[in-house]
Amino acid sequence: MEQRARMAEPIVDERVIEACQAGDREAFRLLFETYKDRVFSIAVYSFGGDQAAASDVSQQIFLKLMTTIGQFRGESAFTTWLYRLVVNACTDEQRKRRRFLPFGESTPMSKLAQRRPQEKRYAKLEIADSVQAAIQELRPKLRLPILLKYVEDLSYEEIAGVLGCSKGTVASRLNRGHQALARKLVHLRNEVE
Amino acid sequence: MFSKHVTKELSAYCHGEIASEQSREIAEHLIGCNQCRAQFAEIKLGVKLAEHLPQLSAPDSLWHDLQARLAAQEKQQKIETTPARKPAAFSFKAWQPSFAGVAVMLLLVAGFGALWLYSRQSRPFWEVARLNGAPRIGSARINDKGRLAVGQWLETDSDSRAQIDVGSIGQVEIDPNTRVRLVETKPTEHRLELAHGKMSARIWAPPRLFFVDTPAGVAADLGCAYTLEVDDRGAGLLHVTSGWVALQLQERESMVPAGATCATWPGVGPGTPYFDDASEIFRQALASFDFEPQAESKITNLDLVLMNSRPRDTLTLWHLLGRVAGNDRARVYDRMAALAPPPDGVTREGVLQLNEQMLQLWKEQLEPTWNNESRLQKVVGIGIRAVGRVRERMGKR
Repeated sequence: MEQRARMAEPIVDERVIEACQAGDREAFRLLFETYKDRVFSIAVYSFGGDQAAASDVSQQIFLKLMTTIGQFRGESAFTTWLYRLVVNACTDEQRKRRRFLPFGESTPMSKLAQRRPQEKRYAKLEIADSVQAAIQELRPKLRLPILLKYVEDLSYEEIAGVLGCSKGTVASRLNRGHQALARKLVHLRNEVE
Repeated sequence: MFSKHVTKELSAYCHGEIASEQSREIAEHLIGCNQCRAQFAEIKLGVKLAEHLPQLSAPDSLWHDLQARLAAQEKQQKIETTPARKPAAFSFKAWQPSFAGVAVMLLLVAGFGALWLYSRQSRPFWEVARLNGAPRIGSARINDKGRLAVGQWLETDSDSRAQIDVGSIGQVEIDPNTRVRLVETKPTEHRLELAHGKMSARIWAPPRLFFVDTPAGVAADLGCAYTLEVDDRGAGLLHVTSGWVALQLQERESMVPAGATCATWPGVGPGTPYFDDASEIFRQALASFDFEPQAESKITNLDLVLMNSRPRDTLTLWHLLGRVAGNDRARVYDRMAALAPPPDGVTREGVLQLNEQMLQLWKEQLEPTWNNESRLQKVVGIGIRAVGRVRERMGKR
């Protein structure tokens, strides 16, 4: 599980970040290519599977990254700084949408589970769909640590850094998140064990 | 042993976020505490489900949309740069796609090359110690110590033996002429494949964390010591020396306690477990019953098994209840009831209909008869855990 988190390290190092800060376009393209799937994944899971909304928020995040990367001083890991940006952008956008959308539309959790029924021939995809739907039903407080752990593969310390809480709080929220997932999807026990 | 419950630490334990000494204490607590073990099973299920959460691919259009958005933003705002840093000085109009494309491709190729090398080096592994001869990992001989990475084979010839440290949860000894592969190692699952040969495992971890795949089934450790061998035909033989092991192929499962043995055949799955001190005629008849499909001989063999069974052999008879039907099941029930009458709440009709609750109730009543491990076996069980603790402390010094 740790492999995915460390995957970015050999590609995006200090030199790449400095080049981005100096306005180097190729360096920024490299940064974008490295993190686009991770940023997009968190956005999709945060917006109930709404890919258009996720794409819009991902663009906002990268635009903000480009205009504020000069403020990154290396006081925390770059990934911590980036994911803080991602979490804040997703939370802000959710707040905005909640203000304008009727109750329930901001979390169409079943969208992913309902689409592309032909894919459900495969048990693994079915499990992934069910897990995605269940994750989207969790409260953001429990959902974000799970996304940062399983999509971004961050350590507890890194998650604590992104969310601005203690490692103990991360452990406790993950515990509750895991229990909630297990209770919602207990019927899949035989499929995953 | 931890007297305090460990439920708050269970996710961190599953993710390997806890120091090894405390991790061992949690494992020991889980073995003895039903309440925490039930919570652990739930959290482990949550972890396994969450591991199915895929990383999604951003749409190809994202970069182009971003360019367009930035160009529009540039046009509208005319972003100004500062002398010290030029954070927003991107101008995609000036960008020459052909040149930049080549540069990006080169950077990506170099990056992914480094990543490939890194991921090869950082694959999880187990420590292997040579006990005799010249065991091999892949094509390389081990001198005194070696590392078995996920996906690699460890092989011994007729003169060599090796010992594997299964993370921090146990040890496996590999006998001569044996071939094993490390399939998976993570806090929620450690898995080895035994292609042929013989291995002995001693595991000090909660149930169902350590698995061995064989051509004829999977052995799941329920704690704590056993030997497993696989012959050239792929047939397996499990012998448990302490605790319990579950042997499974698809829907067919045998629960094997200390002092018992169970054979398994490719395409058939685990046979019926039996105690080593059962009579020769009982064991031979059971082997024929399990693995010789002719119906005529089955009846004869079943007769022999029933006639030669003792109260302790209810282990075998309990498993047979689900493997025979009709009148044969009634005969097995009658023999079991004669040897060890069922507890209150367990009826003949219910058992003949394979009522799960009743079967479980009867099994629980019978388990003390099956679990009479010898004093030596108990000492071995306690010793295994003690050795684990000592090794951990030695490793820290």
